Amino acid sequence: MLPFLTAAKSSVGKKYLMALTGLFWVLFLIIHLAGNLVLLSGHSDAYNKYSHFLLSLGELLYVLEFILLAFILLHIYSGITVAIGKLRARPQSYKVQKNLGGASRKTVSATTMIYSGLLLFIFLVVHISHFKYQVGVNGDYTTVIGGVEMHDFYRLVYDSFSYGWYVLFYEVIMILVFSHLRHGFWSGFQSLGVNHPRWSPFIDGLGIVIAVVVGFGFLVIPLYIYFIGGA
Amino acid sequence: MSNHAEQSDMRLHLKIWRQPDADSPGKFVSFEKEKVSPDMSFLEMLDELNEGLIKAGEDPVAFDSDCREGICGMCGLVINGQAHGPRRSTTTCQLHMREFKDGDTITIEPWRAKAFPVIKDLVVDRSAFDRIIQAGGYISVNTGNAQDANAIPIPKRNADEAMDAASCIGCGACVAACPNASATLFTSAKISQFALLPQGQVERKERAIQMVSQMDFEGFGDCSNYGECEAACPKDISISHIARMKREYVKAALTTA
Amino acid sequence: MTLDAKIPEGPIQEKWDNHRFHMKLVNPANKRKHTIIVVGTGLAGASVAASLGELGYNVKNFCIQDSPRRAHSIAAQGGINAAKNYPNDGDSIWRLFYDTVKGGDYRSREANVYRLAQVSNDIIDQCVAQGIPFARDYGGLLANRSFGGAQVSRTFYARGQTGQQLLLGAYSALSRQIKAKKVEMFNRHEMLDLVVIDGKARGIVTRNLINGKIESHAADAVLLATGGYGNVYYLSTNAVNSNATAVWRAHKRGAYFANPCFVQIHPTCIPVTGDHQSKLTLMSESLRNDGRVWVPKAKGDKRHPNEIPEAERDYYLERRYPAFGNLVPRDIASRAAKQVCDEGRGVGKTGLAVYLDFADAIQRLGRKAVEEKYGNLFDMYERITDENPYEVPMRIFPAIHYTMGGLWVDYNLQSTIPGLFVLGEANFSDHGANRLGASALMQGLADGYYVAPYTVGNYIGSNKFEPVTTDHPAFKESEKTVAESIQKLLSINGKKTAHELNRELGLILWEYVGMGRNETGLKKALEEIPKLRQEFWENLKVAGSGETLNQNLEEAGRLADYLELAELMARDALNRNESCGGHFREESATPEGEARRNDEEYTYVAAWEYKGKDQVQALHKEHLTFEHVPLTQRSYK
Repeated sequence: MLPFLTAAKSSVGKKYLMALTGLFWVLFLIIHLAGNLVLLSGHSDAYNKYSHFLLSLGELLYVLEFILLAFILLHIYSGITVAIGKLRARPQSYKVQKNLGGASRKTVSATTMIYSGLLLFIFLVVHISHFKYQVGVNGDYTTVIGGVEMHDFYRLVYDSFSYGWYVLFYEVIMILVFSHLRHGFWSGFQSLGVNHPRWSPFIDGLGIVIAVVVGFGFLVIPLYIYFIGGA
Repeated sequence: MSNHAEQSDMRLHLKIWRQPDADSPGKFVSFEKEKVSPDMSFLEMLDELNEGLIKAGEDPVAFDSDCREGICGMCGLVINGQAHGPRRSTTTCQLHMREFKDGDTITIEPWRAKAFPVIKDLVVDRSAFDRIIQAGGYISVNTGNAQDANAIPIPKRNADEAMDAASCIGCGACVAACPNASATLFTSAKISQFALLPQGQVERKERAIQMVSQMDFEGFGDCSNYGECEAACPKDISISHIARMKREYVKAALTTA
Repeated sequence: MTLDAKIPEGPIQEKWDNHRFHMKLVNPANKRKHTIIVVGTGLAGASVAASLGELGYNVKNFCIQDSPRRAHSIAAQGGINAAKNYPNDGDSIWRLFYDTVKGGDYRSREANVYRLAQVSNDIIDQCVAQGIPFARDYGGLLANRSFGGAQVSRTFYARGQTGQQLLLGAYSALSRQIKAKKVEMFNRHEMLDLVVIDGKARGIVTRNLINGKIESHAADAVLLATGGYGNVYYLSTNAVNSNATAVWRAHKRGAYFANPCFVQIHPTCIPVTGDHQSKLTLMSESLRNDGRVWVPKAKGDKRHPNEIPEAERDYYLERRYPAFGNLVPRDIASRAAKQVCDEGRGVGKTGLAVYLDFADAIQRLGRKAVEEKYGNLFDMYERITDENPYEVPMRIFPAIHYTMGGLWVDYNLQSTIPGLFVLGEANFSDHGANRLGASALMQGLADGYYVAPYTVGNYIGSNKFEPVTTDHPAFKESEKTVAESIQKLLSINGKKTAHELNRELGLILWEYVGMGRNETGLKKALEEIPKLRQEFWENLKVAGSGETLNQNLEEAGRLADYLELAELMARDALNRNESCGGHFREESATPEGEARRNDEEYTYVAAWEYKGKDQVQALHKEHLTFEHVPLTQRSYK
């Protein structure tokens, strides 16, 4: 039998894991975006109740968080080994290298996956420590809704995005999200071995739609709050 | 009659990678090549350059070629950053100088990959490909051991798709063009060919595992789905074969006892 | 020495079976004690190396390319014949045998050809089992087409890449044996000498093309499967590295060379564009199934082909050979093209081309159907010529394609040196004076999969082998000779390159030993060739050193052999004062200009014995008898 670890470390297994973990995260992002669009409604209670519901999931939440964390670490591990493998596999680079066009899918998104990915991870650390653990957050962000005391995430988000530089930081990151998904989505399916003359064009199209929706969905929220919502 | 306007002879600036042997460092050397006829093939242009070098008592530029009709897979140069040059579905030997213009600068490099070490100038060692095939790119049938050829019907569609994969000439352009120097398209073409045919079923799982392991062992990079391989492939082999290889491998890895 | 073809007793249908039954077998446990050298990895070489490895022998396999998969069998386009009779159109082993003997213009050995037809069916079975994706019908069964003048559909094919697929099949079988350590593979090694000890072939001397090292390899038998010598003409459809060095050096060690003047000129190649031309590209003969060959009726008609009205076109093959039309055998189609060009009716810039027109086929079948059948060939044509054959007729011209001649072998494929076997195009055996389309692949694989594994086993089983190592003086002597000749080539330091001299040799041969030959021309060639050879040894310029990869040096070494072989070709052509197959002696023609055989005097194989440097080879004759296929003049009218 092929030991699991050997299979997982092979060039195919590695990319298989990258694809599975990546596509799981895409799913998470879609749900995350759906939840956050409540922010645009202007109803602070609705958003806070939604956040409170998530936090009250208890152990289930820990499991989900653990899966997300484990997956992203696997995803990063796989990404970094691919990037290092690339340097090892071609120690002497070309003096001139051009795209071939035609069937090539070597977009800017594709060639910058390692960079967009690493930046996204840094962002993730900042994002979670800021909103989840409220590192460096001054002031009391709690509120009482219907007799229940809960975090006032709504106000925290609105206050955070009242700073121009912070909004700008998010905007840049969300363009990276778009870029990462632009190549990542269809590529994930290809790595899983899903390639069919009938379905592949659909998957490719869906990938672009999801990249646009997720990237620009997240991009709109800070802009809205900064220019309209905060007013 | 001709697709291109009548061209007259050209003058070209060539920048060619020269490397005396595997162990010595290489460098680019410039040459001026005059009287290049648009009807010449790219390799005939280099032949003429070499004629001049030989007469001058200099070492001619070493490059591989054999059939010069696009099927043996022996030739292969990176021309201006493109494996086999600018024309699609074309090997270096069938690339003609009419693709270039008078006064052009052409940079000529060997396939660059750790698994394809340079032997001399533009000649590389592609025996890693042979070893990938040796790992399982065959159906184990001794001579004399076959049933009647028509005993097993094969759906035309499968036979045709297997033929698409089997048309690989093993030139290595996929590796050369891949930003990761991955041999996935080459390896997948053989795995896919046999996975599509009833004769290939018996050794299907073993083949996928062995060939992928050998490919990894040789030091090729991973597949990032850039698709440059398909674009560079002179036989237009599709990355759908890569997807099939991935299915084959994972199925084999999960179900082999 | 009299030539004994060792044809087995019995009726022709039973000869091979009888022979196999009477062969000495080698005990399976003893097979691994024998080493066999195979030179070449084309269809014959790769298939025999794999088959011998499967049987348990230790095989050492050599090729000059970077991988065994590059051998020039890979370039065969059209297909492979077999007497399967799947289409139910009247084919049989007997008919394939008959067609091949007749197509070879009665200059091949009946028994060999019969065996070839017999094993042809096994080849197809074996290839399908190897996973070769032959073309199939919608029912999933194998498709056949008619090819190269055959009146039955017996050709199996894999698009226009049949040779590639068959070679990759043999290569995969070979790879499996390499993995199993039964075959040791030596890429980028060139055989430069044969070592004969006590009258038996016992090894070879090679040059490692990467570092120039001269190496010796000992064995109990040596098999040459190194292909043909078409590149003696400089321009041919052969790969640029295809060469005759291995067979020629074996010839100089005592192997007779048979019928060197039998060269096939293929009618459908892309014409030459200029002096820079390094090779000629074949357009598969299958194109003649739907394409119509024509030239303008008027001399020097320079109009665009599409502007020449139907009435002013001469579809000369259809006119001269109404029964076969555009599908006449290769030699006839080639000669007819030469004749119309000689009359000044050739087309294109050089006037050395005829049209192959698909306008009718496109109209009849639709562009899509034509594209499906010939798309890859049309693409290739456009890549090379920059013309679109869907709109403008193709221009084609004959080119040197295949050499029927080669080292003389008996029924066992053994040469006149015991222990030296010769397979595939490198031997002379099965095609007589003209090879039929789709038969080269058949012969290469028949020799490699089904004939040599038996006959070599018989040789091993019926001989005692004194242990020989590469320390034997014969190896040392050979290594020294090889090293000296390389040094000689490097030290001449003259003014002409091997390319230039090879081109000059090619022009002499094309002119005097080409499509039409006559006494005056051949005598002229016999004067010119030695002069050129002398110039070669005095005025050659080779750059670089012998200690690294030096393609220029390789080329020079091969040319040195061509310059000797070329003379023998001319001598053989002069000796054979008859027209047969690819050999057309202008003195031996009917009043209409068709070829006329002279069976009274020339029903023999001319086998030439090397007599030493600058000596004239001695002629030996193997008389051919035709018991089953009555001798008739070929007629395709």
